[in-house]
Amino acid sequence: MSEELTVIGKPVTRVDAYEKVTGQIVYGYDLTLPNMLYGKALFSPKAHAKIKKIDISKAKALPGVVAVVTGADAPWTHGEAVKDKPFLAHGKVRYIGEPVAAVAAEDEDTAQAAVKLIEVEYEDLPVYIDPEEACKPGCVEIHEDYDGYRKAPFMVRGAAPNINEHFKLRTGDVAKGFAESDLILDEKYYVPIIQHAAMEPHSAHAQWDKESGRLTIWVANDAPFRALHEISEALAMDKEKIRFINPAQGGGFGSKGGLKCEPIAVALAFQTGGRPVRVKFNREETFISTLTRHAATVYCKSGVKKDGTLVAREMTIYWDAGAYAEKSPTVCIRGSLPAPGPYRIPHVKVDGYAVYTNKPVAGSYRGYGIPQGAWAGEQQMDELAIKLGMDPIDIRMKNIFVEGDMSYWGEQLHAVGLKETLIKATEAIEYGKKSPINKPGLKIGKGFACIQKPTRSPTTSNAGVTVNAQGEVTVFAGTVEIGQGCNTILSQVAAEELKVPMDKVIMHQLDTDVIPYDASTTSSRSTYHMGNAVRSASIHAREQIMEAAAPMLEVGVQELALGDGKVFAKDQPQQSLPIGEVVKRKLGINGVVRGEASYTYEIGKDLDLETGHSDHASAFYMYATQAAEVSVDEESGRVRVLRMSAAHDVGKAINPLNCEAQIEGGVVMGIGSAIHEELIIDATGKVRNPSFLDYHLVTSLDCPQLIPIIVECHEPEGPYGAKGLGEPGLAPTPAAIGNAVADAIGIRIYDLPLKPENVFWALQKNKKSAA
Amino acid sequence: MKRTEAFDFYQPATLQEASQLLKDNGPGGRFLAGGTDLVIAMKEKGLLPKYIVDLKRVPGLSGIRENSDGSIAIGALTTLYTIETSALIKKKYPFLAQSAAEVGSIQIRNRATIGGNISNASPSADTSPALVALGVTATIASASGERKIPVEEFFKGPGQSVMNADEILTEITIPKTAANLVGEYIKFSPREMMDLAYVGVAAVYNLAADKKCTGVRIVLGAVAPTPIRAKRAEAVLEGQILSEALAEKAGQTAAEEAKPISDVRSSADYRRAMVGTMTKRALLNAATGPAKSWYDRRDRRY
Repeated sequence: MSEELTVIGKPVTRVDAYEKVTGQIVYGYDLTLPNMLYGKALFSPKAHAKIKKIDISKAKALPGVVAVVTGADAPWTHGEAVKDKPFLAHGKVRYIGEPVAAVAAEDEDTAQAAVKLIEVEYEDLPVYIDPEEACKPGCVEIHEDYDGYRKAPFMVRGAAPNINEHFKLRTGDVAKGFAESDLILDEKYYVPIIQHAAMEPHSAHAQWDKESGRLTIWVANDAPFRALHEISEALAMDKEKIRFINPAQGGGFGSKGGLKCEPIAVALAFQTGGRPVRVKFNREETFISTLTRHAATVYCKSGVKKDGTLVAREMTIYWDAGAYAEKSPTVCIRGSLPAPGPYRIPHVKVDGYAVYTNKPVAGSYRGYGIPQGAWAGEQQMDELAIKLGMDPIDIRMKNIFVEGDMSYWGEQLHAVGLKETLIKATEAIEYGKKSPINKPGLKIGKGFACIQKPTRSPTTSNAGVTVNAQGEVTVFAGTVEIGQGCNTILSQVAAEELKVPMDKVIMHQLDTDVIPYDASTTSSRSTYHMGNAVRSASIHAREQIMEAAAPMLEVGVQELALGDGKVFAKDQPQQSLPIGEVVKRKLGINGVVRGEASYTYEIGKDLDLETGHSDHASAFYMYATQAAEVSVDEESGRVRVLRMSAAHDVGKAINPLNCEAQIEGGVVMGIGSAIHEELIIDATGKVRNPSFLDYHLVTSLDCPQLIPIIVECHEPEGPYGAKGLGEPGLAPTPAAIGNAVADAIGIRIYDLPLKPENVFWALQKNKKSAA
Repeated sequence: MKRTEAFDFYQPATLQEASQLLKDNGPGGRFLAGGTDLVIAMKEKGLLPKYIVDLKRVPGLSGIRENSDGSIAIGALTTLYTIETSALIKKKYPFLAQSAAEVGSIQIRNRATIGGNISNASPSADTSPALVALGVTATIASASGERKIPVEEFFKGPGQSVMNADEILTEITIPKTAANLVGEYIKFSPREMMDLAYVGVAAVYNLAADKKCTGVRIVLGAVAPTPIRAKRAEAVLEGQILSEALAEKAGQTAAEEAKPISDVRSSADYRRAMVGTMTKRALLNAATGPAKSWYDRRDRRY
């Protein structure tokens, strides 16, 4: 067996490139089923109100309407951490955009017309928009039955109203730390609500077969097994009765986990006599009724010695959960825990509060809470350096995590490639060197930011790998191809271990009836967890083939090797058999060898609820530094990113081409969140810009020169040394740009986004106070 | 996106026929050119026309033509992409070509027409400030005849113009201009492209060798119910030698003349401030010659 890697580490072209580029692939949104009905939802126009009456009679009477359902027909609730969300509103609504009722009809226009005929009477309740206001004593509970909900065991209920999670980190004694500090900075930072804006909006198809009692759901969900569990728990239905089939997914970035269109489709499917129902959200509905990223108010206080040594850091973070808990508790925990930054700090105190408000639901979004903490912490690192007269690189080098460091949550860190990312990212934009651009009123600046990101742990991935008598390999893996390239990576792993060409490997479609369990396609966990599972399953298949081949080639198993799709004797390579031939001779022309494997990363002690400490909070950590060069037009406030480097420690790049694309995609998304994106919600809870006209994603013309840099700090447990990469791509981006803007204009801006008007007023305010 | 309600659809072969259809069928009809405004209004904004009269079968409504008197006629159905890439327009009025190039995406500009961009009477339409600044005349036809009015007097408010329901904008005419005419259109919006103008400024003047400016026209878009001329700002520069200080002063004056509103995109105060900045830049840029590329255009508006 040759030790040399044949496809791992190579810039292999994506396996799905052709069918995607030619438009052949069928996304969830494209899917039509025989005899299908069209579902449409009625969305709440009120941010917080009691439902006094619903009259569906007119809608039911409209020709072409097959079913009309309300909360009364769907008395179920669901939710991952907190079981708080009704399929359709039960007695009250909690945000504008909450599904209240739904219609299934012979065509979409009839369904929409019927929805308009549903009459609802509401009685207004107080509306809470600001999380800090919503948790003041005396506030009405948005979830009056909160204490009765089923909740995850790791959750801590806050002492004040509307708090669904209170995360605490306690290390050392911050009061003592601040007393020992030579310089203390204390600031408030703000990150607004943004949205994933995946190219494919949300949709779900559901069919209920009364005879078999089976419920089938076709949906581009990033965690079909978790969604299946959530449906099963909600309906109190056996898991065997539920089947999820994943069509191709046109992006997700965290928005396509949990249940979005699924509950509406399921509620309707029970009323259609077995006909499948499609529920498809348009862009506006996707904006208001699926998922957003948490707005966060971050109070950050740091104490530092004259030489730049960090002594204490205290952070209080209000995560704006919106109307339902969704993944807020875990975003709050995993975003708040590393918020103080990748530094050795003896005294740390963090309080993270996830607070219900009457706004669209917030949940997972690429980066999972890291960008919000970094926006505060990494800007404050620069401010500390400037106040101390230090170079921002030096202050970080003094405190940055390195191999073997003890983190402030009590875990010893290994495989820490952070320093290398910092050096490479800053070098790539010639940090410290003055820009040659010289134009009156145009200021140029450079900045960077560092992050560390954990992955969801512990979790499990299972995989199956079959080899047939034709030598073709099929991988059964529950990882969802959400555009990140997992089908390519996992094919590479199988091709490597079985030494077959890439075009001999296919990924089986994701169907929970035939694919073994996988936790989720989230948290940058797939290359590591599923990569390990597919690798072991491939080895398992390989071992069976070698075992079978030994007598055929009349040599011992130990004497055999694999290469170029063949089994051969090490000392006599001409004595070989194609692996398909081995399968055929052993099991016949339709025979299949199947390898199986399961991978679980066991963590140590779970997070302590009082201190936030854990001796092993994450299977691995991802490290990155990004650096930006920007121009700021002093007369308009426009920030333009001129070039941006992004150095990411990926452990081992299984596919460097894919890694670079992941990094570039992340940075572009991060630039949008830094300078444009903001979901504007008024005092009544209404989203004012639910369209691409006024919700500004970046276009290619807003993108600067991108410099992706791969750093490989080997992770011993990862497949071939790999870690993850997907989530951190945008995590340090806004902070790096914020630091560059401050470097350019000498003014620190604490609130995102750095859109022209905000920067302009900051400049004007500074001008006035200087005068 | 909604399927449209049923409506009658006509494809007349002459202008007279087209106008007569509106007269005969009464209110509730709409003319269709490129459809980039009308179709979206129908499918996404709830517009329900009773009937639609498609003008694309009427011959002679598109194309760019230089007349013997030195004027240039542009047919109403000429696409924005044609204007953006026309050698004649690029040579004589590069800022007009640029204003067309600022609209939407290339797909939109391949469909959208100059006549539609004007007739839709959006306050933020990108081509309107440059057309007003050039003193362009619009030719409006109906079954009962034809009339000509300056584009400056064409707009009455958001979505409203001087045209009656049965009238059709058929052509615009750029009058002969001085050989030393220069100009610039700046679209200011947060995103580099694919955005609406938060502020649009067209500045046009005759530039003498000694930098003396005459025939100054400054037209603002997106900061009033219609495109407006900043006449007091024009007066600041008229007959004067161009300088940065004077451009700055003209900008400040234009800012005073603007009547912006606050909305989800921007505050009125910010729009007003940007009128000042962008007017100054437009005046100064005009004197330096046309932008050579998209990047150049981007960099000179900052």
